[in-house]
Amino acid sequence: MIIQADGYQFDFTDAVDVFVFDEKDKSKPTYHGLPMKGVDIVAVFERQYVFVEIKDYDDICLYDESKNACEEERKRKHDHFKWLKNYLKYKFRDTFLFRYAEQKTEFPIHYICLLSFDNALNAIMNKNLVIELPVGLASCRWKQEIATSCHVVNLEKWNQNFPGWPAIKIGG
Amino acid sequence: MLEKIKFERFTAFEKLEVLFSPGINIFIGENGTGKTHILKSIYAACDIVKSKENFANKINNIFYPSEKQIGRLVKRSGVSSKGFVEISRKIDGERRATLRLSLSNHTTKVDKAIVTGATKYWREAPIDAAYIPVKDMMANAPGFRSLYDEREIHFEEIYVDIIRKAFLPLLKGPPDRSRRQLLETLQEAMDGKVVIKNEEFFLRSKGGELEFTLLAEGFRKLGLLWLLIQNGTLLNGSALFWDEPETNLNPKLMKTIVGILLELQRQGVQIFIATHDYIVLKEFDLQSLKTDNILFHSLYRGGKSGDVLVSTTENYLNINPNVIDDTFGNIVDREIEKAMGGLGK
Repeated sequence: MIIQADGYQFDFTDAVDVFVFDEKDKSKPTYHGLPMKGVDIVAVFERQYVFVEIKDYDDICLYDESKNACEEERKRKHDHFKWLKNYLKYKFRDTFLFRYAEQKTEFPIHYICLLSFDNALNAIMNKNLVIELPVGLASCRWKQEIATSCHVVNLEKWNQNFPGWPAIKIGG
Repeated sequence: MLEKIKFERFTAFEKLEVLFSPGINIFIGENGTGKTHILKSIYAACDIVKSKENFANKINNIFYPSEKQIGRLVKRSGVSSKGFVEISRKIDGERRATLRLSLSNHTTKVDKAIVTGATKYWREAPIDAAYIPVKDMMANAPGFRSLYDEREIHFEEIYVDIIRKAFLPLLKGPPDRSRRQLLETLQEAMDGKVVIKNEEFFLRSKGGELEFTLLAEGFRKLGLLWLLIQNGTLLNGSALFWDEPETNLNPKLMKTIVGILLELQRQGVQIFIATHDYIVLKEFDLQSLKTDNILFHSLYRGGKSGDVLVSTTENYLNINPNVIDDTFGNIVDREIEKAMGGLGK
């Protein structure tokens, strides 16, 4: 099933359904219409859900808070990195809430963020998201996970790891 | 300024040519792709200018092949073969000089190896060079120089060379402002300055003097860099070779180290680094200015024969192959495999 979102095209070859989650078109059955954040794509499989969020940046260094030239710069980049992490986190959580109200959170949910960072920086973002989403049964009081797994990848890694869901960049 | 190096059937290399940046050259690659051999070869060519040693002899002492049979530096092929290493340098911004060491795998004695090129001109044009090896030697300095000079001990000469450089007395006259700033940055990072007493190094801080044997190895490295800047070894026109600067250094300190290396480059020091570390690469990417001269050299095995090849780029993001980032990528792959199994395959 082919779908386009945020400058990328995906082919979820084995999906039961796939749609743009934050649909703006009122005529479509998947119209979102609520003041909530939403991931770009939801792919539905037989016994799994996959949420996909895409963020393509020109200036990757803007988000690398780990090492910088001066304190002011460090803070600025820290703010960017934190902003992006929160952006990805709250998009997932709002999407989960929406899907919960739809009674469509019965299967494990995998969250995949497609970013343009290198693998190392993606790994740092991934670690932060796993902790903060959070992934798995994070509390001893929880009986259900909100996210079963979370992965931050670039396009190359996406295609290496998900050959059944080939992705390409489209347009400018 | 060192311009390029060429190898043919020498140590790890079948045939390789690397063009250098006049500023900073960063070598990455898996173990066994010859990063250290490149650094050692160039350093040997630089060091003979001051030491007046024969190039073949210097190479032999630095590589230290078994029983010091220099012919063992020829790449192993199972048959008789000859090899060479050739280094080119631009002198006074105009003239080029080339130094070549040729040898065969049957060459057992150093004096049978052939050194050609503009050898006289090469030796007459001054260049200072320092090679910081992976293993720290600062704590072992007392008596090491005399031991090395008097006895046959199984140490590559780079280890005694760096101790000799660290012991050099101060240059005449006060250091200029930029050098003072670098020294102050290092003093701040290691919380003191280095003093030498009876061939022993100490870190002098407000709390007193701490001998290097009791000092963290990372701080010893900072101390060594401090000494090389302080005694004027690293001045305009000199060359610094640093093999794996990340060894024993907390990643937090790499910001300071890379900042200093960039500043040294701006002051005219040509720098050669071999690294396995993401933080080192990324620090250069983040801290460098457009006016800085940095080349990333990625060494890898390619082609049908699996020879060592090089891919050079100015841009961090274009390093390809990037064995360091690929390692992180491999972790990403395994995490996905573990959490998602066959989904999307």
